[in-house]
Amino acid sequence: MDNYISKYCIIKPHEVIVDGKTEFSDSEKNEFGAFMKSIYKHYEVKYPKYFKMDNLCKVAFLAAEIVLKENEHLKELDPTKIGVILQNSHSSIDTDIKYNETIKDKANYFPSPAVFVYTLPNVMIGEICIRNKFQGENTCFITKEFDSEFLTYHVNELLNSGKIDVCITGWADYYEGEFSAIMFLVEKNMENKKDNISFKPEFINRLIK
Amino acid sequence: MTKIYTVADNIITSLGFSSKENFAALKQRKSGIAQTTDPNITQVPMFTSIIDSNRIISEFTKIGNPDVFTRLEKIMILSINDALKHTNIDPSDNDTLFIFSSVKGNIDLIENENHPFEKDRVNLWAISDQVCKFFNSSVKPVFISNACISGVTSIIAGAQYLQSEKYKNIIVCGGDIISEFTPSGFQSFKAVSEQPCKPFDANRTGITLGEGVGTVVLSTNKELVKEENPVIFRGGANTNDANHISGPSRTGDGLYYAISNTLKEAEKTNTNIDYISGHGTATPYNDEMESKAISRAELNHVPVNSLKGYWGHTLGAAGIIECIAGIHSIKENCLIKTFGYSEHGVSEQINVIKEFKETEVKNFLKTASGFGGSNAAAYFSELNSD
Repeated sequence: MDNYISKYCIIKPHEVIVDGKTEFSDSEKNEFGAFMKSIYKHYEVKYPKYFKMDNLCKVAFLAAEIVLKENEHLKELDPTKIGVILQNSHSSIDTDIKYNETIKDKANYFPSPAVFVYTLPNVMIGEICIRNKFQGENTCFITKEFDSEFLTYHVNELLNSGKIDVCITGWADYYEGEFSAIMFLVEKNMENKKDNISFKPEFINRLIK
Repeated sequence: MTKIYTVADNIITSLGFSSKENFAALKQRKSGIAQTTDPNITQVPMFTSIIDSNRIISEFTKIGNPDVFTRLEKIMILSINDALKHTNIDPSDNDTLFIFSSVKGNIDLIENENHPFEKDRVNLWAISDQVCKFFNSSVKPVFISNACISGVTSIIAGAQYLQSEKYKNIIVCGGDIISEFTPSGFQSFKAVSEQPCKPFDANRTGITLGEGVGTVVLSTNKELVKEENPVIFRGGANTNDANHISGPSRTGDGLYYAISNTLKEAEKTNTNIDYISGHGTATPYNDEMESKAISRAELNHVPVNSLKGYWGHTLGAAGIIECIAGIHSIKENCLIKTFGYSEHGVSEQINVIKEFKETEVKNFLKTASGFGGSNAAAYFSELNSD
């Protein structure tokens, strides 16, 4: 039994691609912070907590927002059956370095709980769960590069075993100004939708090329 | 369902370098927590549990060059090496997968810029690459970083891969070290106890952090099983509170769902549980939340402990070493007392284990909760327990 990608989103420098089409591009070629803010505005996201997030959470959160837009039917589902499974390469190291700056100099020692809380990569999953009230399986995998083979295997197992019915899954990474996100909404076989793509590595690799 | 056997394990903490040494200390009610004033760890005196550095070097020198591995990598290699001594699994076999769990990995490399390693060694995947290279494994390893539930999540993931028959053996290894990074962060949250932690106690004020690494080897190969009645993994689940990134849920619903999904997968009910190995970090909110989840699952009567009073909260190791202790509680038919607990301090009437007790233990439920709103549970039992 196949599981299907009902929507996907790729965020890379200056560009947001949704279901294969460039939906938003940043002609001013802004750096990360301004680019994220322009995505936030373009998609009319209204979520003040966004502004507290670290950069990794921001890119993961926005990719999830875009994928979940116009998917109101998820609100009807059992929240404990909606999973969030993400991969990432640089963990929270970018924020780890920022936090370390606050404890490095003993004469100027000011460890901040607001920064420390983001020194965990799975917090990006927590942010997506809080926003959408998803309570199902959640795991953060660390891989050097996006690994479609492993991700599809793991997520399809969770869906096929019945542990979850829907999964928000993919990749989000941020390190020293470099970033990327690939987010999929994966659902079980839906016969009435003919354009859907199977959640399999060979199809995914074609989509993200 | 394919049977998932626990075939070998190891624990390295301040209490010793093997599961045997660690479990013996637990039975003798011996804690490894002590006060430190080391300026590389804390700016104020703090209770913590630290692995003996000299012993790491002397043990490691017997099997490799200690200079080319970080502190955490050395302890992980020692832990896996010791676990493998108790089984015939070849770690370089294509049927054997390594799963790693850590919250902060080689965080000491960020703090100490004068380290001799390459810059990308701070990445978590670099740790698994190094450790797999040591054991000549060419199977691409899995690395999980799921805050304080990482260890339990890794065991559940391992069981999932065995169940789908993708691999025959899984080596799950998780751990974290203590440097200044984590203590300072928890101190900034005012979450560190001024005294050794007191799980579930009325006077608990916070956590005690600890250093630890654990390894558990899971297999579907019955030929590797030495005991007549081995301990098997029967089910597990991860859930999210969807409530707050750093504060536990007030209702305990996330942990309750993890427990109920686990029991459903294990095909058990609340009458089939001999013992709960709780998370019990000794923060006011965590322990209160746990008591609510346990109560909602109608497990108030089941003896529950927290082992944090022995080796502190060991983050990425916690779920693994506490599952291993549970496996040994089954094998040695005893319940370990909750070190630091004396006066009941959570709102629900749960059965906190106050004294060491020899009694029949055929199974246990492990629970864990952490930052990011994450919760996990897992159930183990003797093969012939029902």
